[in-house]
Amino acid sequence: MAYPYVSDKEVRILSKHFGDPKQRQIDTYVERGGYKSLEKALAMGPDDIVEVVKASGLRGRGGAGFPTGIKWSFMPKEATKPHYLVCNADESEPGTFKDRELIRWDPHQLIEGCLIGAHAIRAQHVYIYCRGEFFETTQVLARALEDAYAKGYVGENILGSGHTIDVTVHAGAGAYICGEETGLMNSLEGRRGEPRIKPPFPAAVGAFGKPSTINNVETLCAIPHIVQNGGEWYRQYGTEKSPGTKLFCVSGHVNKPGNYELPLGFPLIELIEDVCGGMKDGNALKAVIPGGSSVPLINAEEARACKLDYEGCVEVGTMLGCASVIVMDETADIVKQVRRMVDFYAHESCGQCTPCREGTSWTAQILRRIESGKGTEDDLDTLMEMTQNMVGTTICVLSDSVAAPVQSSIEKFRDEYLALIRRGERVGAA
Amino acid sequence: MSDIPFKNPGWAGNTGEFDLTEDQVRGDDFVGVRPAHGGHASGAGTMPFMLAETNPETKLFEGEYQERFEKILTRYPDKQAALLPALALAQELRGYVSPASMDRVAELLELSPAYVRGVATFYTMYNRRPVGRHLVQVCTNISCSLCGADDVVAAFLRYTDTELGETSGDGNFTVIEAECLAACGFPTCVQINSRYYENVTPAEVPKIVEQLKAQSQGDK
Repeated sequence: MAYPYVSDKEVRILSKHFGDPKQRQIDTYVERGGYKSLEKALAMGPDDIVEVVKASGLRGRGGAGFPTGIKWSFMPKEATKPHYLVCNADESEPGTFKDRELIRWDPHQLIEGCLIGAHAIRAQHVYIYCRGEFFETTQVLARALEDAYAKGYVGENILGSGHTIDVTVHAGAGAYICGEETGLMNSLEGRRGEPRIKPPFPAAVGAFGKPSTINNVETLCAIPHIVQNGGEWYRQYGTEKSPGTKLFCVSGHVNKPGNYELPLGFPLIELIEDVCGGMKDGNALKAVIPGGSSVPLINAEEARACKLDYEGCVEVGTMLGCASVIVMDETADIVKQVRRMVDFYAHESCGQCTPCREGTSWTAQILRRIESGKGTEDDLDTLMEMTQNMVGTTICVLSDSVAAPVQSSIEKFRDEYLALIRRGERVGAA
Repeated sequence: MSDIPFKNPGWAGNTGEFDLTEDQVRGDDFVGVRPAHGGHASGAGTMPFMLAETNPETKLFEGEYQERFEKILTRYPDKQAALLPALALAQELRGYVSPASMDRVAELLELSPAYVRGVATFYTMYNRRPVGRHLVQVCTNISCSLCGADDVVAAFLRYTDTELGETSGDGNFTVIEAECLAACGFPTCVQINSRYYENVTPAEVPKIVEQLKAQSQGDK
């Protein structure tokens, strides 16, 4: 069940025990079959585990959707230098709240996934990088980890297998850009969390200059289930190119916002109208952002045609991202919300690259001017041209993320911008 | 959502489908009291619960905090990687990260003071000036903004009698806007010191402010 609401359309694999505080207790976790997958994995060779994950078709759940098995196969086959597995728990993408729930309800599931992943990439140390604001969540994880160490599931000679894997929980200090994998590695090393140029890729030069793999919390939480049940089992859910289940974080103007675990390919409109209990106050749907603030907005017509998998979202002109579905109804003020998102990016820009550092604040300034009724139609052209210069010209894709909401909102909701420009009228209230 | 009974203001409470106490939801009953020496080294570097009483003159570090600092150092291949946890510990003890604190941490980790300045100024959670006893951070990013976050900010400013970004006259509250706190399904989310307050509406703000004023000791 996905806290705080339950739907019978859900397929509860990762979120099965949300809302059950006993799941945090290691004895309960083991009683329910926990750490069996770890036992099985430790008896397998690393390359065999990678093959199982490749067979499952699991794609990274942090937003990029890169096949996890393939990412793991990039690691050197011999650990001549220390290897590191880094779990990205720096959940900061607006609209996303699945990793927090995964950690606070089922911390052992994540720990087990990290251990199996570390074994698969020949790593002996796992860093779980949690965002600094997750005080309470991190304490749950730290306590669970302490219990796991005490019972011999982490540390030296795990379960008598001869393998040693350590796990450390590392807290961030408030920076969205540390969710970017290379920014995260810099932050872990005690630097400013500024992203690095790739290549070199983390599998060659990663955390502390050593071969590393960074995986999202949800990706690692799926691993114990995949290793236990096999790759083919995972493929029974979802679609051919997007197998498995995904936690969809629904927020905004719906009656029952929250996390819902559904097979990939689920129709967006059914998610809104059925699973989430429909639009709040029965208002009409205006716009949806299906993948967190970094993906383009779609209008109601496109939302009705949208299937929630990686390919389906691209077909309607957006992206699945981390599957954070932000629903906006007729009362939403598109210009205000886009401006707020751009303010966020301007605040979080690390400042290394000129198009991003200058572009984010300039875009925010223009949007504020439009919001105050002093904008011009030329401003819309400036915004389109400038944000286009922010795509593909920077070290990381925070810059590209500004282009998505700005360009898609100008294309699809131009009338709202024009209402403000021509008549100083706001269309929405929220 | 009107048929959901919330037992207390500010936690993602009982929806009727789950019968949980606040401690169970937050995990407080599972975590228990956190020891000052950090517990097991694997979690010693996690952001500590902010102490009720902070003192800008506290030595960095001694006693149990020195023990915790040493545990943290054992988890990384070099001292520089302990910078973020060390600054967090300094803030826990002293209430904020002053230039003197940054210099002391630099000394402990064999880094240059200038380097530590560069790192500390990058992250939003290091307060570089003192804040009120309760740091109220209201998320105003898109999901909460769609559900009335601006009204929640206005309510906090009104009931704490302060300006945005400033500390109230009685030193109790600093109110700021925060970026997405990753609780978007429970709008509006407000973080006050180390606690998340969820599903906050303007109507609940006076109750929350009263509760905070009444707190004299213990968990901030």
